Amino acid sequence: MQASVPTATRIKMNSSQTTSRLVKKSPSVCTDLPLSSSDVRDKLRLMKELLGSCYGPTARLKQVHNNIGGSVVTTSTSSVLLQAITSSRPVIGLIKSSVLNHVSRFGDCGLFAAVLCLSLVEEAARRGVGNSAAIRAYDRLLALCTGYLQREDCGCRVELDFCSSRSLIALARTVVSSKPTCVLAEPESAHIGRLAVRAFLLTVPCDAPDPVRLGRTVTVPVEGRPVLESAVFPGLLLDAPEHLCGLAGVRGPVRAVLFSASLAGDLGELGDGRIEVHAGVDTDAQILDRLLELGRQALEDGVKLFVCQKVIHPVLQHYLRCGGLIVIERVGVSLMEPLIQLTGAQPVATLHAAIPSAAYGEVHDVSIRHFGSKTMLHLHPAGETAVCSMVLCHRNETMLNELKLVCQKAEHVLRLTLREPWALLGGGCTETLLAAYVRHKSKNDAPEATSALGCSQTEYLLAAEAFCRSLESVAACLEHDGGASVIDLTHAHHWTLPSDVTEQHLEGGTAAALCGCGALESCQKKKWSYLNSECAEFSPAPLSTASPLRQPAVLDSFSAKVNALRVAVETANLVLDVRYVIQDVN
Amino acid sequence: MNGRQHVGLQKVSALAGTLRSSVGPVKNYKFILDEASGESVLVCSCFRIIENLEPRCAVGQLVHETVRAHHKGYRTGSGCLLFIAGAWSRAALACLQRGISVKHIIAAMSEGIDICRNVCTKSSVSLKDLAGMGKRTAAPPRLGLQRSEKPITGASRESAKVHEKCLNARGQRKVRLSRHFCETDDDVSQLPDVAVIAESLSHGCESAMKLAAEAAQMLLKTNKRRTGDPSFDVSKVTTCALPGLPEECACVVDGCVVLLSDERAAVAHVLKHQPLKVALVTGDLSQTYRHLGFKGLPAARVRERLDSSACSEADEWMEKVLKLLLDLEVKLILTTGLASQKVIQHCCQNNVLVVEQVSSSVLGIIAGSTGAVPVGYATQLTEPCVGSGVTLEIWRDLSGCERTPLTAVNISTGGTGGPVTAVITSHIRGKLQVLEDQFWACAHRLHHALKDGALLPGAGATEALCVRQLQKQAECRGVEDKGKTGSAAELYRGVVLQLMAEGLIEYAAAVMVNAGRFSAAEARNFVSENLRDFHSDEIDAGKCLQVVLESGREDGVFSAVKPDEAPTVKIYDNLSVKQEAWTRALDLVFLVLQTDAEIITGTGPETESNLMHL
Repeated sequence: MQASVPTATRIKMNSSQTTSRLVKKSPSVCTDLPLSSSDVRDKLRLMKELLGSCYGPTARLKQVHNNIGGSVVTTSTSSVLLQAITSSRPVIGLIKSSVLNHVSRFGDCGLFAAVLCLSLVEEAARRGVGNSAAIRAYDRLLALCTGYLQREDCGCRVELDFCSSRSLIALARTVVSSKPTCVLAEPESAHIGRLAVRAFLLTVPCDAPDPVRLGRTVTVPVEGRPVLESAVFPGLLLDAPEHLCGLAGVRGPVRAVLFSASLAGDLGELGDGRIEVHAGVDTDAQILDRLLELGRQALEDGVKLFVCQKVIHPVLQHYLRCGGLIVIERVGVSLMEPLIQLTGAQPVATLHAAIPSAAYGEVHDVSIRHFGSKTMLHLHPAGETAVCSMVLCHRNETMLNELKLVCQKAEHVLRLTLREPWALLGGGCTETLLAAYVRHKSKNDAPEATSALGCSQTEYLLAAEAFCRSLESVAACLEHDGGASVIDLTHAHHWTLPSDVTEQHLEGGTAAALCGCGALESCQKKKWSYLNSECAEFSPAPLSTASPLRQPAVLDSFSAKVNALRVAVETANLVLDVRYVIQDVN
Repeated sequence: MNGRQHVGLQKVSALAGTLRSSVGPVKNYKFILDEASGESVLVCSCFRIIENLEPRCAVGQLVHETVRAHHKGYRTGSGCLLFIAGAWSRAALACLQRGISVKHIIAAMSEGIDICRNVCTKSSVSLKDLAGMGKRTAAPPRLGLQRSEKPITGASRESAKVHEKCLNARGQRKVRLSRHFCETDDDVSQLPDVAVIAESLSHGCESAMKLAAEAAQMLLKTNKRRTGDPSFDVSKVTTCALPGLPEECACVVDGCVVLLSDERAAVAHVLKHQPLKVALVTGDLSQTYRHLGFKGLPAARVRERLDSSACSEADEWMEKVLKLLLDLEVKLILTTGLASQKVIQHCCQNNVLVVEQVSSSVLGIIAGSTGAVPVGYATQLTEPCVGSGVTLEIWRDLSGCERTPLTAVNISTGGTGGPVTAVITSHIRGKLQVLEDQFWACAHRLHHALKDGALLPGAGATEALCVRQLQKQAECRGVEDKGKTGSAAELYRGVVLQLMAEGLIEYAAAVMVNAGRFSAAEARNFVSENLRDFHSDEIDAGKCLQVVLESGREDGVFSAVKPDEAPTVKIYDNLSVKQEAWTRALDLVFLVLQTDAEIITGTGPETESNLMHL
């Protein structure tokens, strides 16, 4: 259906000539039932393939570039990938923005949300469930899932034990090893996982009054050094200024001053204001005099560390250095907050008044550290501050960039555990277990659900099957090398069979495989079923009945995954609910 | 991605293929022609080729990025990196064609690189041993025959023992290295002469290496005197390219050689041979210069601005600066920025020499040795900022060689660890860049040799050892473990390692082909035959040594510039450079191997037909 909109005109200026011409504005295009278009369906399928192939530790990577010589980013991280995707179809834009929003809030499970959402839309269409019935059924099933995940006896939830770092490290390691662009060997990902937990623990203040404010981790990337040289330090690392030869004379508690105002000698802070200058007055010299006055005060007040967010005039720098100060300029806005936390100084925002004595801060000590070709100034915290620096080393830029992303993600995920101290089984086990639970529950629940939702029982069961298949297909996305995904029929955990191992191997126990999350070992008594094949529904047995039971080695963030599940279902419902798309094509 | 025909890997392989003729000591020059502009460049090293090719595709850029990062740190070994990346890309492709999964390829190749790195560290020869061998080989002219005999002198027995250790016993490397690290002064004197190391690392660039060795010796002399530190700090070396002189004129000068135009040359003539006071400025020498980050007051926002012309302001500034310079008795100003013509003129009239665009590292060195403090503005100069003890010498008058008369002047700080300049000359202007690159490559090779304290047997010997070790591992474990687990990973492992070994053989063969005495097929045969000879043997120190030495004797093959000349020099490679190049090559292969799609953002020219749109 095409609906025409009143035609307007607009004037297009031709930049090279001064003539103007009138261009007829084309009418907006209104599309009815976008999901019925095969083009949209193809694009949704392409997007699912694209994102699904990036899921998990053995994922395929994507090179993001602009084809005109811009830098190439190699990644499998959802935030980078989704930002690079632009589509002519608003439906895709909708999914993209809601997943990106989820990632910005929770840091993890972006690909999970996207793949699940696309899969839910696709499965509903494939099974011919009516859109409105599917939406209502999905809502009910989502409530079933979240209700189960909150239950004490939930089979895929693990309580985090803060008395030991083991489960925290497992959580961090799962995040770290989920991105193959980092090319980390086993000991390397273990090392980075431990560092992430260490940095996280350093940012939790010990005995702070309520409300507890978490500190900061500042990442220092070092290219060209082996990963195992990465380290975490309490305090801050700043790029050492070029002229710094030694720290002679700087010992013990060091008084520090922080400037957020530019000390370049200009009046940049004026904005658009006008100033009146008398003839013959040299404004530059006057401002420089003011700067030197500030410098003299700092010197007299016993400051040893002089830091400015912006540029410092070379004359002032020279003056301060002659006075034996450590001068650091251009630290940038992102480092100001941690610097304030570390030193306790108040940043000075103007150069037109004397420095108030309350503005001074203190660091316990300064030292110089070398990382590869980098020389850094290490500011040791004076008291108990929750600021730490994480030096990340990797062999090349691409891997280092991804490692940086991954560590930020790990930090985010670890912080979420403070609010909800649980984790979910990783490696696809949560997905298969939830699918088995929902399949079992919905069968028993069907009569009640149909009356509540006002749809036929067949429709409800079809929608439930679409929901379960979608969950299972996300688990199956973890395998990229042609292997098969199977589920055991007792605990409903997720297992992968490499392409060259037959089911007999698994049943015979010769493959010595572990399930996705590493909590179960395969044994002869187990019954198997391929994912996405018909099998009898069953109620997954609690994990405690399993023997031998191991500590799950792969854990996912509880908060992030639960929210991702919600976002995926709600976005899918929104997409299914779209009736018209009106596009301005001008 | 079409599973078995990975386009990305094919691209890497193709790019590396263009450089096949540029690996090894004998290289061909290449012209790279820009069809759009009609300009062309003469290139020789792999890095310059890639840089000038400017690959546009995503994989090409990734290759370029990798090579650039390596070149930045090492200045040598880019060709090796690319060739190996290409060869191992083909290996990965072959694996995919055999249906081996990406996961297994990565696991096995990671193991492969570990094996290679281990072979490198184990077969490395410490510089001290090299010194011992140097003593031994100094007397007898034909070393090839001397090898099998029992060492007689104490020194050589000692060296042989160490050899056994480093080649045979695996766990002992650390001991050896740690002993090396805590050397005393006596040990330093045991290090071989830089010239000896240099000769064995020249890899076909004898003249460039001669320069580099001279520069190193010049710096080492002052270094050793002061700190006993045997390292060669390349940051204290600069180059000066002089067109119009024959290549034989290239030399190393203690100090910093700069080119001056006629007017300033006259000032230099006045100032030569006397200690001078020097000022160092990091900004431009002009009234209008403001430091980076200074925004200034836009004229439109200032009312009643001084209405006298800007010209008189400039004059005022000039006067002020000149007075300051004369008061401080500064005769020489070095600036990293530019100086306006007016400043140069005024300074010349007052016999003050201005040298522009000095590199900041040179500025730093001169600051260190003269006590001068670099300042941002000339007006900022004060007594304590001024350094002293600099002398000027007219190094060479080049008036006859160029259209614009130039004089090369040497600024020296009296041999106190000041900068050392390598003067690079050629009649052909286009070749200067090539010669400069060669010099830097050689200088960095020496630097890394001294830093590592060890060298690798060169001329393909290390590659041969790696190939052997890879093949051995591929065979033995493949057989052993098949019975145990039957796991596919173990089966594939052997195949992957074998293919990696093939890649190294290809490299060795390509180097031989470039040397000019072998056809491609002959070279391959030669390498694999040589390998087979010692394939059946168990690893033992003696045999290994023999292989190394045999390859040494075959140097004539590898550096066969003059085939008739009897080989007297052994060839070595850098330990860390080779390890790093291989690791980077494999990292590149891994990234490309795991990539299955490109996402093209924005609106580039759409040339490909197989694009899918979202």
